[in-house]
Amino acid sequence: MSGERADTLAPPGSGRDAGRALLEVRDLRVRFSRGGRRVHAVNGLSYRLNAGEILAIIGESGSGKSVSARTLMGLLPPSAQVSGSARFEGTELLGMPEREMRGWRGAEIAMVFQDPARSLNPTMRIGAQITEAIRAHSDMSRKQAAARAVELLKLVHLPAAERRFYEYPHQLSGGMRQRVVIAIALAGEPRLLIADEATTALDVTTQAQIMELLLELQQRLGMAIILISHDLGLAASYAKNVVVMYAGRAVEYASAEELFAHVRMPYTQALLGAIPLLEREPHALLPVIPGQPPDPAALPAGCPFRPRCAAATDACLEPPPFEEHEPGHWWACWHPAKDPAEDPARDPGEPGGAHARPVKDGVQG
Amino acid sequence: MAAVEAPAAELGLAPARRPWGRKLALYVPAGLVAFVLAGCFLGPLVLPIPAPVGGDVLESALPAFSPGHLLGTDPNGNDILSRILYGGRASLLVTIAVNLIGLFVGGLLGALSGYVGGALDTVIMRVLDVLIAFPSLVLTLAVAQSLGPSLTNTILALAFFSIPAFARVSRAATLGLRELPFMTAAQLCGTPWWRVLLRHVAPNIGPQLITFSMLGMGIVIIIEGALSFLGLGIPAPDPSWGNMVAQGQASLSATPDMVVWPSLALFVSVLAFNLLGEALRTQGSVR
Amino acid sequence: MTVALDRRYRSVPARLFGSPAFRMVGKRLLMAIPIMLGVSVLTFWVLNLIPGNAAQQLLGAEATPEQIRALEAQMGLNEPAVSRYFDWLGGAVTGDLGRSFVSGQDVAGQLGERLTVSAELTGLALIASVALAVPVALLAARRPDGLFDRVSMFVSVSGLSVASYVLALVLVLVFAVRFAVLPAIGYVPFAEDPVENLRGMVLPATAIAVPLFCFYTRFLRGDLVDQLQGQDYIVTAQAKGIGPWQVLLRHAFRNSSFGLITVVGLNLSTLIGSTVIIESIFAIPGLGQLMLQAINTRDVLVVQACVIVFAVVTVLANLITDLLYAVLDPRIRYGSG
Repeated sequence: MSGERADTLAPPGSGRDAGRALLEVRDLRVRFSRGGRRVHAVNGLSYRLNAGEILAIIGESGSGKSVSARTLMGLLPPSAQVSGSARFEGTELLGMPEREMRGWRGAEIAMVFQDPARSLNPTMRIGAQITEAIRAHSDMSRKQAAARAVELLKLVHLPAAERRFYEYPHQLSGGMRQRVVIAIALAGEPRLLIADEATTALDVTTQAQIMELLLELQQRLGMAIILISHDLGLAASYAKNVVVMYAGRAVEYASAEELFAHVRMPYTQALLGAIPLLEREPHALLPVIPGQPPDPAALPAGCPFRPRCAAATDACLEPPPFEEHEPGHWWACWHPAKDPAEDPARDPGEPGGAHARPVKDGVQG
Repeated sequence: MAAVEAPAAELGLAPARRPWGRKLALYVPAGLVAFVLAGCFLGPLVLPIPAPVGGDVLESALPAFSPGHLLGTDPNGNDILSRILYGGRASLLVTIAVNLIGLFVGGLLGALSGYVGGALDTVIMRVLDVLIAFPSLVLTLAVAQSLGPSLTNTILALAFFSIPAFARVSRAATLGLRELPFMTAAQLCGTPWWRVLLRHVAPNIGPQLITFSMLGMGIVIIIEGALSFLGLGIPAPDPSWGNMVAQGQASLSATPDMVVWPSLALFVSVLAFNLLGEALRTQGSVR
Repeated sequence: MTVALDRRYRSVPARLFGSPAFRMVGKRLLMAIPIMLGVSVLTFWVLNLIPGNAAQQLLGAEATPEQIRALEAQMGLNEPAVSRYFDWLGGAVTGDLGRSFVSGQDVAGQLGERLTVSAELTGLALIASVALAVPVALLAARRPDGLFDRVSMFVSVSGLSVASYVLALVLVLVFAVRFAVLPAIGYVPFAEDPVENLRGMVLPATAIAVPLFCFYTRFLRGDLVDQLQGQDYIVTAQAKGIGPWQVLLRHAFRNSSFGLITVVGLNLSTLIGSTVIIESIFAIPGLGQLMLQAINTRDVLVVQACVIVFAVVTVLANLITDLLYAVLDPRIRYGSG
């Protein structure tokens, strides 16, 4: 492990299985200047994604997860200042000229957005919106593109695809619209699909259907998927690896199994606590995370979670490094949580085991 | 943790304008408006200028920068600067009066219509629909002609079309308020309707109406000018910017100055009000 | 979903009459009737406020009260206003607007001639202003806060602050007096000499079009920028990897065009209002000029007819706006859900 300390910027995931990296993000920083205020949306985010894998980026609203995803596609407003590195198969995406970036958008990296009611053009037929995406990256004729669009609509299991081709978005239900948005994203046969809260605006049944569709497409087409969500449960069910973001930085990274078995970062633990579980007593109050996420224009010194953290001490005034403390498990915390099995009555205020080495991962598979 | 977040807002897509730019956009037009108002209302009292009417025919049609007549004189020997300042006084008086009438009468009608609703709302809105169906200038012309040209009648004629405009804005704003919790609370407490309008509705729709009236100032100045230009507003020989332009039109090719000065006064005042209204609209807490 | 299927396979007339757009237009047409009645009542009332009536005006100040009363009786002015209104309304429904007190001419016939002249003027101004505003707004919205945007916004705020009558005089001063390239007055009918007719229309149409152009440009630019910066489907379009012009034209402009249509429709009454004054400056024998003349001679029936024609045109324009909207906007064309 000490050998790897030299390169503190090495993104999580590069330690083991350093095989084919599709996307490697290092120390990504995004800052907006608005009305004289500097808003730090992303503050040094690093991660790594292998081809064909699903990575979940989890965080609350304003944690910078959406901004970091849009940065990859160069879809930020001109007031954004971006630094760091994001290599897609070795090609640097950040700072790429707009004209060149356009060749990557849709063709290599595609995106599915949160609200399908808003992400389709209300005045264009479904078919035209898909063929537009197809023809942006190929020299198909109109006819070929239309045939391909119907194919895509069938691929996303839209019922009566030929007819829907001629309909407008308002004639479709929310779930069907999201399928159309996914079909648009698939038009350029991308190798990375970013699903930005793709199921948040849908009802629960539809959510599950859309997630199943994404999973099916990932396996059939071999795409990698970045799943952006505030829902840890979603990440647990579908993602291979999980990045937890807080105040624009990664605070914990691990495989989904590892993360849920041995959560370390108090913030992630709090997020887990805020999920309603069937095992809980009926009508019991859901534990909530006290306080508000920090104002990205005025971040607290040291650990950004300090003001809301039950385990915070003076040590937390120093920003904790984001490091691989256990094989494949990265976190940024001076007082990582212990495994419940090991210490069931853990007192969060107890600063004792600040650097105590937790046991190595016991639960795998 | 909001389930559905607005991505645009999260990304901070609001137009990034520097604070000094915002201040400038507000203070420059505000200063210009103050300058125009002070010039027209205080200028004639403070500056050593002759009366706007009853000039000496011997001094007729003097060019600009003549001694004693900074902008020259018109064919009747009246000082043009004096006529512009007094004319502006008349134009602005009409404009301010029309906007105040619109603000109070239209604002009250709209608030009542929106707050009370039901049959009253239907009646008021149908009457307003009829008024709005008229091209405003055409209606104003007919009313002005019926009443005869005078300062008061010009105000009344113009108020005819400013009232429906204000009423519409006020009604829309009131409808937006009606469902808010504090309104419901006031109603549940048994507060009488007039008190709710006064204490809860008025302070909330006020800023919006005032912004609207700033944008309306420019329009009223132009329409008042049009009425006077056609001889249906401020009657000559009393000056107003509109009738000065009309007077100058007769000798346009010989003495274009006669048209240029009042036109410039019109343009600067309308521009000042338009810019101020725009700055208030984009920067105010209300949309 | 079955409902949508049913609708699809119904016969053409059934689909047309059952379509939400058709129902909306029908509703608007029915709503226009009471508005028109209200307009005529109001016009009648306003014009009867006039202290001296047409008889007095025609006979001059020296006329004896007997002479005036005699002429009043002859003209039917001694009857109560209510019965005169219903007489007039009865005629108006059958297309008879009476005869002018002053010239004795048939009012309806006079209006027809004048209407075509005014329609040409407003049509030219409208087309020119929209045709120019669209490309300028698109170029400005392409780079918000860029040089072109700043310059065009400065020009349009200034242009909005210029009264059309002032602009008309400035145009006359420059193009007719200084350079003498275009006629300031003298209307030539289109049938007589199309070229001269159009040359004569350039300055008046420009005077009307410039403030409109500024208004439309500002509106469209603002709406385009709102779409580009605030709408998610714009991001979807950008994420497809299509070019910025395609995003602007196919996505932002397509959606902004509905707003533009509404604004143009609502603005038509202002446009019509400004023809009154412009026609009088350029001596164009249109409806506006007729109305001003009639106002000065207290030719009540002619004024009334003019006001009502203006109101009808405004109401019709709003109706056409709604229709266009319904035809163009798929959300209304196909109904929601």
